[in-house]
Amino acid sequence: MLNDKILGLTTLLDVLLVLLFLIFLVTKKEAVLKAAWLLLYATFAIHTAGILVRWRESYLLGTPHAPLSNLYESLIFYAWCLLLIQIVMRKVLPPLLLLCLCAAALFFMGFSSLWPSTIQPLIPALQSNWLHIHVLTCFLAYAAFAISFFCGIFYFLHLPFMPSKDALEEINYRSVMVGFPMLSAGILTGAVWASYAWGSYWSWDPKESWSLITWIVYAIFLHARYARGWTGRRVAFLSIIGFASVIFTYFGVNFVLSGLHSYAS
Amino acid sequence: MAVTNGRPGSASPNGRSRTERLLTFLGSVRFAIFLLSFIAATSILGTLIKQQASSEEYVSLFSEQGYAVIHIFGLDDVFHSWWFLLALVLFSLNLILCTVNRFTLFLKNRSSEALPKESYLSTLALTFFCQGTRLEEVQRLCRGYRAVLTSQQGVILEKGRFAQYGVFIIHTSILLILLGGLLGLMLGFKGSLNLPVGESADTITLRGGGEAARRSLDFSIRCVDFRVSFYENGQPKEFLSSLEVVENKRVVLKKDVRVNDPLTHRGISFYQATYGTDAAFEFVIGGKSVLLNEGGTFRQGSLALMVVRYAPSVHDFGPGVQVAYLDNGEPKAIWFLRDVPRLREQTIAGIPVKLERLTQQQYTGLEVTSDPGLWFVWCGFFLLMAGLYINFGFYHRRVYLIPRDNGVMVAGTSRKNREGFKREFERLKERIDA
Ligand code: HEM
Repeated sequence: MLNDKILGLTTLLDVLLVLLFLIFLVTKKEAVLKAAWLLLYATFAIHTAGILVRWRESYLLGTPHAPLSNLYESLIFYAWCLLLIQIVMRKVLPPLLLLCLCAAALFFMGFSSLWPSTIQPLIPALQSNWLHIHVLTCFLAYAAFAISFFCGIFYFLHLPFMPSKDALEEINYRSVMVGFPMLSAGILTGAVWASYAWGSYWSWDPKESWSLITWIVYAIFLHARYARGWTGRRVAFLSIIGFASVIFTYFGVNFVLSGLHSYAS
Repeated sequence: MAVTNGRPGSASPNGRSRTERLLTFLGSVRFAIFLLSFIAATSILGTLIKQQASSEEYVSLFSEQGYAVIHIFGLDDVFHSWWFLLALVLFSLNLILCTVNRFTLFLKNRSSEALPKESYLSTLALTFFCQGTRLEEVQRLCRGYRAVLTSQQGVILEKGRFAQYGVFIIHTSILLILLGGLLGLMLGFKGSLNLPVGESADTITLRGGGEAARRSLDFSIRCVDFRVSFYENGQPKEFLSSLEVVENKRVVLKKDVRVNDPLTHRGISFYQATYGTDAAFEFVIGGKSVLLNEGGTFRQGSLALMVVRYAPSVHDFGPGVQVAYLDNGEPKAIWFLRDVPRLREQTIAGIPVKLERLTQQQYTGLEVTSDPGLWFVWCGFFLLMAGLYINFGFYHRRVYLIPRDNGVMVAGTSRKNREGFKREFERLKERIDA
């Protein structure tokens, strides 16, 4: 189908993006950075088109729904969020992080190709407008936390073309400033939705519990920094733990544990 | 004074009593981080260990000893264990103390504004001296800033003051959500109701309370119709029940309840959860047709019978229904077999009873809940989002203007978003210099 072709093209463009940012880091030519940014916008537009086309094609198949309902679609959407967050935080992000985020987007596009891409019907519980806002806010949060994660990792490394430690901490904090409210919104919209669908806004389902755990880790991050004066390594460590928790919330719960949120097959 | 235990020596060397120190600790961020870590860590256990399973399941998963440990610590139901609840209560206490402390401090600082000392101002990173201008002139150029204090010695200007309320709104909202949860736990209930099409019920089965836990409603609910549609691959696409609420024999509310679209009446909500079919048995008793489910009873005069169970095949004679009845006060049971004429029609207490048909009866499965804390939770959610928006979308900053003989000294400070403020301050400097 058309959406597969467009999304395949997006994956190729992601490769190109990674290469361009790498070339910039090595050559430091402003023109390359400009080109990379233009390509980033273009890739984002094409990726968006791919998702919209898929949405449209679900109507043609008689199973109309936003492409957010199984693992394949969610991986595609996460890659989209990883591009979007770069555009949202363009003023803050140095090229090294742009490189990492594009590489992450590429990784998730590649990972998605391991799963069946057929458009499946939507079970009744997922037929809700809350689905859109819930998934969007959660995944934007996950994308912002990816930035925090890379800042945490780089804090412990000594590479050429790295931002200063202070800059890393600032970017880290800013990404949590975006991610934490988004994750809160994601959890809250999920709770409101659960209340409509199942009659209970919180049932300690594994996905819910893990999103709470993730949320707590970032709450600790904010308090450790602000009220306890923790900085440096400890905060960097917290952002790594936080993202590990994000990844477990996203995948671990589906592959390791079972519950209401599993992308049922 | 907060000295309450009156024992000598209870006051510490620095003059604070034990109670005061305890309160300080209970309201500290250190304790908050400890509690949050504890809640997170135990939640992890609660997802890794299967919850609310049967003891046999635990023994097969973890062995006898393993199960003993799990049971003693309540790890088979972490989120409803007393220590998890205790952690949440302590956390609420912690948050209350912390918020009250901070808020009183905040108000005190507000009511006693004073120009900081020269020595403090000179330590600020953002300062410049503006030669040959007057203070009023500079103040006019600080657009969007509001004067907090105006005196001979100088002026304090600020912007984004309301951003400081963000944290208080956030913390209060968390308390509101916890309060709502507690109210729901204490005053609410959760249950389910399987309602065959065409029937009505005024009691529901409470969840987790075993077979006997039932609760009667102040009204009855009737399932007028149930419909389900399927995708081409046979997966259910939509299912809905047409429900009616009946009070004093009058229909007071009608609604088609779908997944994601419940019916609510008198604070009790009915959610479309599942559906299914029950075996139903049509008997002709004394010439009258009666439809009974498994467990269904029928009573007429001296005849009292109950359908005990259904078996698809009784000794190779085809499907049958076991019926219990009272014979002169003595309980007896007989089988009705559909395909054996002699056993299809039998006489109980002198009345002929015939198993007419075996049918399937569709029922709708409803979740029934009542949660008086729900509105607290919703308000908490709204406030939390508003507080986060205020806290992270805006920031508080101050500019000090100190008049000198030949100009004005300008100093700026912000506790958050220092980078952003630095840029703003530089633009201000350019504007004043121009
Ligand atoms: C899960 C519950 C909590 C959430 C979601 C939460 C959220 C927040 C947020 C978002 C901030 C602002 C941080 C920033 O701007 O960088 C903050 C600040 C703060 N929180 Fe909490 N908090 C929670 C629990 C607590 C508790 C229990 C305490 C008390 C011990 C506490 C004490 C503080 C303090 C002292 C600050 C710094 C305030 C300031 O900047 O002046 N928080 N909190």
